[in-house]
Amino acid sequence: MTEFLQNLLLGILLGGVYALAAGGLTLIFGVMRVINIAHGAFLVLASFITYTLWDVLGIDPLLAILITTPVIGALGWVTYKVLVAPIRTAPMASTVLLTFGLALVVEGAMGEIWGNNSTAIRPSYGDESFAFAGLYLPKAQLYGGLVAVLVLVALWAILTKTWLGRAIRAAAINPSSAELVGIKVTSVAALVFALGIAAAGAGGAITGILYPFVPGSHYQWIARLLAIVVLGGMGSLNGAVLGALLFGVAETMTSAYVSPSWATAVPYAIVFAVLLVRPQGLLGTRMREDAVMA
Amino acid sequence: MTATTDTAEQSAPTEGKRSFLEPIWIGRAIALVAGVLLLAYPVLSDDIYYQNMIILSLIFAVGTSGLNIISGFAGYISLGQGAFLGLGGYTVGVLAARNEDVTVWWWIPAAGVVAGLVALVLGFVSLRSRGPAFVIITVAFLFLVQVIAVNWVSLTNGTAGLTLPLPTWDRDIMNWPFYYVLCAILGAQLLMTWWIRRTKLGMGLIAIREDETKAATIGINLPVQKITAFVMSTFFVGMAGGVYGYYLTFIDPRGMFSILLSVQLVLSLLIGGKATLWGPVIGAFLIEYLNEYANNDLGGGNVRLFLFGGLLVVVVIFLPKGILPAIESLLMRRRTAGKAGLVGARIGSGGSLASITDRVQLVDRSQIPDRPLLEVKDLRKAFGGVQAVDGASFAVPEGSITGLIGPNGSGKTTIFNLIDNTIAADSGEIWLAGERIDRLPSWSRAHRGLGRTFQLTRLFGEMTVLENVVAAQRSFSVAGLGKVAVSGAEGRAAEELLEYVGMRAFRDQKAHALSYGQQKLVELAQILMLDPKVILLDEPAGGINPVLIDRMSEMIRELNSYGKTFLIVEHNMPFILGLCDPIHVLARGKRMATGDAHEIQNDPAVIDAYLGDDFQLEEKAGTP
Repeated sequence: MTEFLQNLLLGILLGGVYALAAGGLTLIFGVMRVINIAHGAFLVLASFITYTLWDVLGIDPLLAILITTPVIGALGWVTYKVLVAPIRTAPMASTVLLTFGLALVVEGAMGEIWGNNSTAIRPSYGDESFAFAGLYLPKAQLYGGLVAVLVLVALWAILTKTWLGRAIRAAAINPSSAELVGIKVTSVAALVFALGIAAAGAGGAITGILYPFVPGSHYQWIARLLAIVVLGGMGSLNGAVLGALLFGVAETMTSAYVSPSWATAVPYAIVFAVLLVRPQGLLGTRMREDAVMA
Repeated sequence: MTATTDTAEQSAPTEGKRSFLEPIWIGRAIALVAGVLLLAYPVLSDDIYYQNMIILSLIFAVGTSGLNIISGFAGYISLGQGAFLGLGGYTVGVLAARNEDVTVWWWIPAAGVVAGLVALVLGFVSLRSRGPAFVIITVAFLFLVQVIAVNWVSLTNGTAGLTLPLPTWDRDIMNWPFYYVLCAILGAQLLMTWWIRRTKLGMGLIAIREDETKAATIGINLPVQKITAFVMSTFFVGMAGGVYGYYLTFIDPRGMFSILLSVQLVLSLLIGGKATLWGPVIGAFLIEYLNEYANNDLGGGNVRLFLFGGLLVVVVIFLPKGILPAIESLLMRRRTAGKAGLVGARIGSGGSLASITDRVQLVDRSQIPDRPLLEVKDLRKAFGGVQAVDGASFAVPEGSITGLIGPNGSGKTTIFNLIDNTIAADSGEIWLAGERIDRLPSWSRAHRGLGRTFQLTRLFGEMTVLENVVAAQRSFSVAGLGKVAVSGAEGRAAEELLEYVGMRAFRDQKAHALSYGQQKLVELAQILMLDPKVILLDEPAGGINPVLIDRMSEMIRELNSYGKTFLIVEHNMPFILGLCDPIHVLARGKRMATGDAHEIQNDPAVIDAYLGDDFQLEEKAGTP
């Protein structure tokens, strides 16, 4: 029972980190109808940048988030302006291929810069745990999960409490009307892209402490994040959080009670099951097609 | 007819003096020479490096050409195509390891069958619905197969991989069997692609690519067509994968289910040209050459990632159509330079229905039974908190021209969408000719005699006007998918209908080049091709000029005299009042009045509702 409780708790903490990264993905999709396949690549890139900050400059990896996140966000902004903006009106499949291509380029770049060997960030508290009521909670996981929740709350606050958030939601619901009331949709889109990818960056800084990584890790990440987003309902932030928590728990449980090697199959199995039973995801709504035609 | 001949000649200036310097003949000559060279190469040269490269190119050409069917024709991009090569390889590997006394070649067809069966199952999961989910599923599928191949050690030997039996034939002709078997598979694959393009299946797939919702409303059975296409896009690929495995003599999950393999196939398709016959082949050879070059001369690894990734980005942004279509449109532009376009030509004066022998007969109006042909009962649909249709019930008497009016937002178009299942109703019943149809998909409703035009016309932009009309499918059978896309009789019928609506001169124009009014006429012809019992017109007079409006009501009247029943949504009151009886008035998602033109005009409740609703709308807008 204690073991089960511990796994549950670890799963939820992991889910918090997943929620952060998946939140960025679902935000970008919700506002711009772009499935950013490069999301996982930016996440791993953030892990590598954090690694360098920690390894060379000795900055605590969790503190390094304050540097990593804006850097990755800026890259997202540039990505939007240079690559995505020119094909804004193209079909969704085009942006999928475009961001996939970008992911490959980023993977190649990471391989050139940091090499293809397994890299791990091991801060001093990496091997320490809190013992509490018979439970062992690794410090890295606990801190990581808490920081993720903090960043997620900040993101949520931006989206719901600020003018920018209202502009983002307006642009998501009806871009042409948003233009009419003075929202510059292209600028908002660039900001959303930056914000979404920054979230992946924050997530990557944290997961760098939890798992070792290689440039090719981004495939697994994008599969995981897409599974979460599909599970929660594409475009729904609340759905992404819920999906991420379920996902984190499912993955932890599979690896604890079945086998770690099959745990990697969990995301794909979930995608299939969800799309078979409820194609719009847990919290997604089917969109009204006739009204958005004009 | 006479009015259209001069313009028809303009559009085909080379008719009659067809020479062997035409691009099509040049293209065929190039294909022939390339084919002969390809077949002769191993005999003429024993350069193993290039033989190897061609063998791999052949494998990827089959993979890309297969991908073309689901991604090029039907428009569903798959990033899991490489998995079918891998599945083929593993099928052969597993079977060969367990049956050592049987020659490996026997298992190649089995590899195709396995790939096809897996595609069938995957298609059932992913292609019943539509949209972006498919591409995600294909990636997930690829990774899932890879994980299974790693973990199911008793079958696949896990990460250690499987070794296939070495070829048993003479070392002198080492690669020949692989080479020529692959040539044969590629030939079969290309033959299939060519066949699909000229059948109902291919036309339906292109319609699905252009506008899936619309395709359903003109009788195209979406899941059957998409799943069929998906299976067909994998069968020969599985076989090529089997040969691939045998050729490599060693397969492991990392190599056979690498995502880069799928990327290479997608890239080849994009570069060569989607929905073309030869584009995928050209693309596959080009990309494989680049791939080998990057691997051998540039060091491989990360360079290969830069190459594939960078090319993908560049192609999507700068060459979205691919090489072949780009060359085609360049040649087209040079050939038609200086000639006036046809789009501005006058719409024909229109023909008479009496000349259309195939599908319409004048009916004796006294013979029409007095019953509702179309009836909706207590129909409801909510969008979030907005109850767009709130218990609407009304009937469309057989042989009538029924009008449906109401203020903006009263639910008229939504009711149309519910009737043809463009969106699903929350509850309520829909009856057509005594049969309940509210559980049926759009295409079945179309087959039972429901035709519908859209407020904002929805034609298949990349198809010609004639193809648009012929794309409508009056019935569905699996065997029917294999019929020639435009049979002689259908072509004639479509031309007659286009003549009737006055659009025959435009038959070879791409639909997206037409004006809005012209598109309305073509859409009407398209619906008539279904030979519907009841025709739903959504604002037929909206946004077109007065002459065309008169012509429109004339056509509606004439069609009606030939037994067609109409339900018309329109804001042009003189148009509706002059044409329709009965007229239903809708307010806030339900019917509030019914009567003939005179009764409606003098109904105080109707006048009140039109005004009252607007006032309420303004009030509501202030307090969100």
